[in-house]
Amino acid sequence: MNRGLNRFAIFVACATFFLIIAGALVTSNDAGLATPDWPLSNGQVFPKMVGNLFWEHGHRMVATTVGILTIVLTIFIFLKEKRSWVQKLGVFALLAVVAQGLLGGLTVKLMLPLAVSTAHATLAQLFFCTTVSLAVFTSRSWIEAKPLTEEKGNVPLRYLCTGALVTIFLQLILGATLRHSATWDRHLPVELILAHIGGAVAVTLMLGAASLSVLRRHPEMRFLTRPAIIALTLLAIQLCLGIAAYMTRLASPGDPQPLNPMIAITVAHVACGALVFVSTIVLTLRTYRVLPANEKSFLQDYRIGQDLHVNPE
Amino acid sequence: MNKQTKVWLVISIALSLLVLGSACGGGSTNKETNTPGTTADANATPYSGPTGTISGVISYNGTPPAPKKIDTTADPVCGQKNPNLTTDDTMVTNGKLANTFVYIKEGTVEGGKKVGDYSWPVPPTPIKLDQNGCHYAPHVLGIMVNQKISITNSDATQHNIHPTPKLNTEWNQTQANGAPPIEKTFGRAEVLIPVKCNQHPWMKAYIGVMKHPLYAVSAADGTFTIPNVPVGKYTVVAWREGQTPEEQPMEVTVTANGAAKADFAFPKAGAATSSTKPSLQMMPAIEFPMLGKH
Repeated sequence: MNRGLNRFAIFVACATFFLIIAGALVTSNDAGLATPDWPLSNGQVFPKMVGNLFWEHGHRMVATTVGILTIVLTIFIFLKEKRSWVQKLGVFALLAVVAQGLLGGLTVKLMLPLAVSTAHATLAQLFFCTTVSLAVFTSRSWIEAKPLTEEKGNVPLRYLCTGALVTIFLQLILGATLRHSATWDRHLPVELILAHIGGAVAVTLMLGAASLSVLRRHPEMRFLTRPAIIALTLLAIQLCLGIAAYMTRLASPGDPQPLNPMIAITVAHVACGALVFVSTIVLTLRTYRVLPANEKSFLQDYRIGQDLHVNPE
Repeated sequence: MNKQTKVWLVISIALSLLVLGSACGGGSTNKETNTPGTTADANATPYSGPTGTISGVISYNGTPPAPKKIDTTADPVCGQKNPNLTTDDTMVTNGKLANTFVYIKEGTVEGGKKVGDYSWPVPPTPIKLDQNGCHYAPHVLGIMVNQKISITNSDATQHNIHPTPKLNTEWNQTQANGAPPIEKTFGRAEVLIPVKCNQHPWMKAYIGVMKHPLYAVSAADGTFTIPNVPVGKYTVVAWREGQTPEEQPMEVTVTANGAAKADFAFPKAGAATSSTKPSLQMMPAIEFPMLGKH
């Protein structure tokens, strides 16, 4: 385990979270087409940052920084990390950030088609998930965790958590589609709002079941209970933010321009959604790490743990 | 290199080529543009018979909403030049409504031909749309198919002009302060095309593109006049912007040298002011009555 690598992976994950907030600010301010060209902004590398160009070009600058950080992270991984699957994940992160940049350019050049903008927002969450996973896999707690005995008599927690994770991801896609289906001065499509509300109910049930099962079955395992409690807390905040975002967004078409609190609340809703997603990813990965579903996988996981102890750093 | 890496490489290269292709491509072109100078097919003939006028007044029913103050702090140039910038979607003076687009939608000219069967010469003079004080002037304007629109920037800041038509080609172009006018045409009739500035999201204008010159925009006192209307019977429509633009039709008969009247009043009594698309505001189970528009 390399502490420097882990810290840098955490730093990249935090930068990615900041990038998601910057991207959400672009959408909420209706700044996506503040400049019609890409990769330059109005033909300049550093244009005058006034009006909505502040948000759009600011997003591009943060994205460029995250892209450079991801290149450095991938090189760092290849230098310090011996697990080949972690190296592959590093390469995946690099490819994802490149694809994300290209999708961002494509959505500007095509003038924000719903499919491309939604894909851009969805890939952002997947990239965030990747950087957080890299931070998890390079952490001491992950490497030193020891598998428990097989779970019996219940639905395995790893499956519950995976179910919650998939549900959250689908909900994120729905949310991205909803957000990009109408600008601030138009009403959102009812059918998408209803689907997103339905998704919120599904996420609450799935994540609630997964987290509460973790707390009930393994109350002594902080390795699992901590992400479960964080995920539940964030879910509660996210539901409140969702209602507030709906209310402010409902009123925004009557405003002369995108205004607070609509901007702040919708951006917070996007950011909190990303945090719910990654906290569930951490929970899910940890259940796979310490709660093997059957004897075969138990032994396999145990061998991985042994390998890690044999080849530290 | 394993299979998964290859797949991602192929996807990345394909995306790169797609983006670079679109980035290197030229500006948007109006593929739907007809032959300049005319708006009808080659067999159509110009109208040369007697004409009259259609005129009227647009009134506003009830108390108009107060203009809303616009926050220009994001671009200090806007605030310096236009410190009292407000919304101009409902401009009412003494109960009369400005910026209503009135046009002949359809009708039969004396003799039996439809108004669209004639060819109408396109004026050689461009219509002007200026960006002044981070505000479009005029707010609503009419233009003929293939007539040039000349867009100028009188501000010491940059704007981008972004029409979002449904039938014509969408385009988005930056205009720096001091840049020469942008000249464009629209190749298809469309009522009306919203125009916005994505750098200053409060800036909005509407362009009505018509195949004929039989349209007008109500002035500050609510009056309008459509001159040189061929003798005949027409459906005249008054269009007013809003969350859902409101249109009111009226049957009008024009006689030779006559002055037909067509007065309109907005909003129509009992007309819904919200979107025609159902919104959750209409759903009682999850209605939030405290959320009146601010």
